[in-house]
Amino acid sequence: MELQHIHPEPTSFLRKHLFSTDHKVIAKQFLWAGLLFLAFGGGLAMLIRWQWAFPGEPVPVVGSMLFQQSGGAITPAHYNTIFTMHGLIMIFFAITPIMIGAFGNFCIPLMIGARDMAFPLLNMLSFWTFLVSQGLIIASFFVQLGSAAAGWTTYAPLSTNVGTPGAGQTLVVAAVFVTGVATIMGGINYVTTVVRLRAPGMTYMRMPATVWGLWLTAILNVLFVPVLGSAALLLLLDRSFGTQFYIAGSSAVRGGGDPILFQHLFWIFGHPEVYILILPPWGFVTDLVSFFARKPAYWYKGSVMAMTGVTVLSAVVYGHHMFVTGMNPLLGQSFMTLTLIISVPAELLFLNWLHTIWKGSIRLTAPMLFALGTVFVFGLGGLTGLFLGTISTDLYLHDTMFVVGHFHLTMAAAAFLASFAAIYFWFPKMFGRNMNQTLAKWHFWFSVIFITLVFCGQLVAGYGGHQRRLYDPYQYTFLQHMQPLNRWTSYFGFILAASQVTFVVNWFQSIFAGSKAEQNPWEIGTLEWTVPSPPVHHNFDVIPTVHRGPHEYANPEVKKALGRDWIGQSEELPKSGKAPAEPAAAAS
Amino acid sequence: MGAIVPYPPPRARQEWTAYLGMVIFLGSWAMMFGSLFFAYGMVRARATAWPPPDLPELPLALPGVNTAVLAASSVMLQLAVRWLRVGKTRWVGPGLAASLALGTLFLCLQMVTWRRLLDEGLTPSGGPYPSVFYALTCFHALHVLVGIGALAWLCRGAFVGKYSAARFLPVRLWAMYWHFVGAVWGVMFVTVYVV
Repeated sequence: MELQHIHPEPTSFLRKHLFSTDHKVIAKQFLWAGLLFLAFGGGLAMLIRWQWAFPGEPVPVVGSMLFQQSGGAITPAHYNTIFTMHGLIMIFFAITPIMIGAFGNFCIPLMIGARDMAFPLLNMLSFWTFLVSQGLIIASFFVQLGSAAAGWTTYAPLSTNVGTPGAGQTLVVAAVFVTGVATIMGGINYVTTVVRLRAPGMTYMRMPATVWGLWLTAILNVLFVPVLGSAALLLLLDRSFGTQFYIAGSSAVRGGGDPILFQHLFWIFGHPEVYILILPPWGFVTDLVSFFARKPAYWYKGSVMAMTGVTVLSAVVYGHHMFVTGMNPLLGQSFMTLTLIISVPAELLFLNWLHTIWKGSIRLTAPMLFALGTVFVFGLGGLTGLFLGTISTDLYLHDTMFVVGHFHLTMAAAAFLASFAAIYFWFPKMFGRNMNQTLAKWHFWFSVIFITLVFCGQLVAGYGGHQRRLYDPYQYTFLQHMQPLNRWTSYFGFILAASQVTFVVNWFQSIFAGSKAEQNPWEIGTLEWTVPSPPVHHNFDVIPTVHRGPHEYANPEVKKALGRDWIGQSEELPKSGKAPAEPAAAAS
Repeated sequence: MGAIVPYPPPRARQEWTAYLGMVIFLGSWAMMFGSLFFAYGMVRARATAWPPPDLPELPLALPGVNTAVLAASSVMLQLAVRWLRVGKTRWVGPGLAASLALGTLFLCLQMVTWRRLLDEGLTPSGGPYPSVFYALTCFHALHVLVGIGALAWLCRGAFVGKYSAARFLPVRLWAMYWHFVGAVWGVMFVTVYVV
């Protein structure tokens, strides 16, 4: 019974490596594009940190090249562009392509036992659309008045022509719209693929948690990225055609529109976006802690339900970003209650991870270390979120560095560490070569220690009343004593950036000269490890039949029959009459 | 947990997959238009007068006729899908052509509406009232334009006999898109023109 067509492998270079419809090639393309922009966004972050440590002083090495007219120092106009583009690049053009573009593409078909995505051509178009948006971003730096400078949130009316004239901001808003279209294309593909192309026997509750995380993310993307699209569209119309959706005050015609409208649209998208960026890490972590603790994931169903619960709740909490916009207090309190309810499923996930590693035979491989690091920084980020979700404390902390520290711990640090967990884990399967584990562990320890120190430094500054986005905080007497703290935070930031060299070296060394990877180097039971590394063009010669869940470790029956502590999802237990136990039953 | 999921034959499976993809795409796009209507509602709730006393009111007659035109176009397309499925392949080409002609007529009438309003002094930069009108109708018209292109392509395929009861998926998927665009127009007509 032939279930899905085997498409012949393309032979021309263009169709094989450039305009490929193969999900594995597209995944690599997204990974390269995302990593390059991660370095770009990281460079911008270093400039911000320099400015907060030594405001007005010439930037060493690159300053004389980038800021010629001011003698190498960052000017206020440049500063605005730098922090705006740091945020936008990291969220839409680095983390999103790495986690969703690369690992969504790579993992979903392989882990559910499919030959490719449901719509391979759409998949290719998604990548090329995304590349156009990256091109727009780069172009925006070379137009008059420079790139966008209205903050990554692009709040109106600052982001309209009144606050930020010039083609740069327009190009960036257009880039956000275009990347949104690319994301929706990808999202349609992921949702459909998971619903339609699961191998026989791969029930929803047998899917690896990674697929669950990526699938729920895709659902949120499909539903809420269009809302960002409409916000960007109206902003583009305001900027280019003189409409009046967001304009208010003296520049308004006949009463003008409503700047708060932008905040509503932005955060209706923006809060689900937070979970769009954290659900894939949750999925990775749920799987990796089980894989490397050599134990079934503790209450796997509970973790899945928690992730689904968060997905649903994420749609109804966006108002907590707008407590200080003059919102009706009753509405504010409802949003506060809903927001704090999210901590319940998040807590549940957290406890499940701890229970999974409890008394496990932990193998501290690089991916496991990164997964545990993700748990740690996400814990810090989640706890600080409680202060911001509560109105009475948010009124004090709003728009301070505390907010910056909080969302960097959740969205940046957790997403960053989880992305590297995924890279180190799936690299052998993706490229067919092993990465250097020693360098990877150095990379981990430097990353987790200094990323925590950087963002905790921001939390402390914010708690002391340091406003975010200040060009020169020390113009204010009450912030002058923050300079030593900020300098230390900056030093930690510089070390964090410098230590990424360990990854860059490892990456290139492994791609070009790494030792050949075995089919299943980690001894894992999910389907992608049943095919060669790297997988053949059509993934599976025969579509596998799935017999059990993804976390079948330390099962005594398997140990007795096979002499090892794991069994593949599609593997049959030799000459045993009854089916092996389900993971949930084994955990309890 | 669960027996092995039954696997239907490949072609039926592929059709279902494409159908589901289209449903998800339209759901996504519904969120986009929904947000635009939300924006309209907020801007309008904030305005003191709608329309402002010095600006012309939107016409009702021509857009009303236009609503009927677009609805008729949708009906013709649905009939074409029906004929395709029951095997009356001969009728499909003319059916698609009629749908295409009605869709084009819709766009022409829409242009007449814009032209008249521009002549009366309703420009996009004249405040929130014309902003909403032009943004929503133009964004919708772009979708109609895409639909017209697709209908023309389907039409060409139908006249060279590309589609049959066994191969009607492209027609059916574009019909879903076209009905969606029509439904959005219905909401737009009621909220922007009538209310």
